Amino acid sequence: MSSEAPILIENLVKDYGEGESRLRAVDHVSMVMRPGEILGLLGPNGAGKTSIISTIVTLEKPTAGRVSVFGFDVCKRPQQTKMLIGFVPQELIHHGYFDVMEILEFHSGYFGRLKNRDRIEWILRELALWDHRNKKVKQLSGGMKRRLLIAKALVHEPKLLILDEPTAGVDIELRESLWRFVGELKREGVAILLTTHYIEEAESLCDRIGILQKGKLLRLAATQELINELTKREIVVKLKGTVKDTVKDTVVPSHPYLVGQSNNELVFQVPSHIGAMDLVIGLGIELSLISDLTIRDGSLEEAMKRVLNDKTVIS
Amino acid sequence: MNEVTLYPWRAFWTLYRREMLRFLKVIAQTVFTPLINSTLYLLIFGVSLGANIKLESGTSYLSFLIPGLVMMGVLNNAFQNSSSSIVSGRFSGDLEDLKVVPITPQMILWAMAVGGLSRGLVVGFITFVVGEVFHVTLQGVVTGVAHPMYLLFFLSVGGLAFAMIGISIAFWAKTFDQMSAVSSFVLMPLIYLGGVFFSIGGLHPIWQALAYFNPVLYLINGVRFGILGMSDVDVTTAAIVSIASLVFCYGLALRSLKVASYSRW
Repeated sequence: MSSEAPILIENLVKDYGEGESRLRAVDHVSMVMRPGEILGLLGPNGAGKTSIISTIVTLEKPTAGRVSVFGFDVCKRPQQTKMLIGFVPQELIHHGYFDVMEILEFHSGYFGRLKNRDRIEWILRELALWDHRNKKVKQLSGGMKRRLLIAKALVHEPKLLILDEPTAGVDIELRESLWRFVGELKREGVAILLTTHYIEEAESLCDRIGILQKGKLLRLAATQELINELTKREIVVKLKGTVKDTVKDTVVPSHPYLVGQSNNELVFQVPSHIGAMDLVIGLGIELSLISDLTIRDGSLEEAMKRVLNDKTVIS
Repeated sequence: MNEVTLYPWRAFWTLYRREMLRFLKVIAQTVFTPLINSTLYLLIFGVSLGANIKLESGTSYLSFLIPGLVMMGVLNNAFQNSSSSIVSGRFSGDLEDLKVVPITPQMILWAMAVGGLSRGLVVGFITFVVGEVFHVTLQGVVTGVAHPMYLLFFLSVGGLAFAMIGISIAFWAKTFDQMSAVSSFVLMPLIYLGGVFFSIGGLHPIWQALAYFNPVLYLINGVRFGILGMSDVDVTTAAIVSIASLVFCYGLALRSLKVASYSRW
């Protein structure tokens, strides 16, 4: 089973409406998710993230192309597909009549698990909902409702967890605990597909990132690879004396990575693989003349902006 | 990947339990309200006006009324249960859940239909008991049940059919207003004109001919045959028309569940 791709998307197209008013939400997207990875889909609003997810979880039918989950075609074998997926939707669900425990027991029952108290208790404790198990949904705070959605998605021990903006409107403490929990699930071998607007969270959590814009998948690569390739490391060398006095007779004035200078500071932008010490040693300045070094690595946000703004980096 | 085991019957059972629990949680509106309604009908029509009504068959009007009210309770409540479940689910986003869990449209249909029928039968049974109390009080005897199997058959077919109509209309409706419009302008007239309160034998021939096109007439008369052993229509014809109506409602509901949107309002 582990050799099977959790998600395989081939040339997926999703249109809404017809004729003049037709909107192409997903435009020939292909991608393969690897077993056990956390894959983040990022992109501006309307990029097609939710449409792709809706197709995977069978809420929407593809206009063209094929989607399969662990080898099951989502259109031809929707029930088998759904058995394997835990889905956390973007919007909260209100469940007027039932309390937390009832909701989870019902959700569990749909997957054939009529007696699932232990698993439900474990999830509720992990998500700090155990003390609220007898409350109706309307009595829960926004953050609790969000956690309840996650609890629902996990009752049947899914092999693939899909989280569509799980931290929207959630406070920072809860966000951190949620991501910690997601990390735990990954260690258990669950493949996780997520979308989020918090790019720094995606950067620290995702093994790979797919960047979408206007329905097209512009880039799909390992997170660090994207950052290394598309951003530069900024190194600021602060000198004890003035730049003018210190750099004469060195390679600094003609250094290819030098991008700026002030009275006593030199600013370099180097490819991410170049270390600060390698740069400094290569400058030919005596170390005793340097008072400080500041290093700022490129971020996923910068990489993403680059992909979105500069189509030449698309591969 | 290896095969994945599906549990369609467990999914059915879960949704059915959920439907039952849902109406039991709001028992004041789901059971007590219809109970008050039927008590009022029995008081006003059965006891007060009924004393002055003489039927050709010689049956008392109160006896005649009881089966009609029982079936009206079953049909109304079966319809209300499935339709309100879907409409409230569309409002809260709950309905989308059914699209992402492994339950087939076929199982959703039967769980909701049997759920609706169950509520209908609860209300129908209570109506019958209240009717019997009135009957015993006023006439000293119970009406009894002449043909229990026929009774069960017509109640079940009618309840399932109306629960299935509820599913179709709830998926079709775009607003609460559309929902209640269909209920007020189509279903209620069909039920009221289906012979709950009168025997079609007393109607003008033109109205009588028209009444035969109303499938509810056959359902109500089937129940009347089950309880009293009398009917305005041939009971075999009633059974055939009822089954045909059920098949039609089933087809409509299944199509709705397969093609309609589950997304929220």
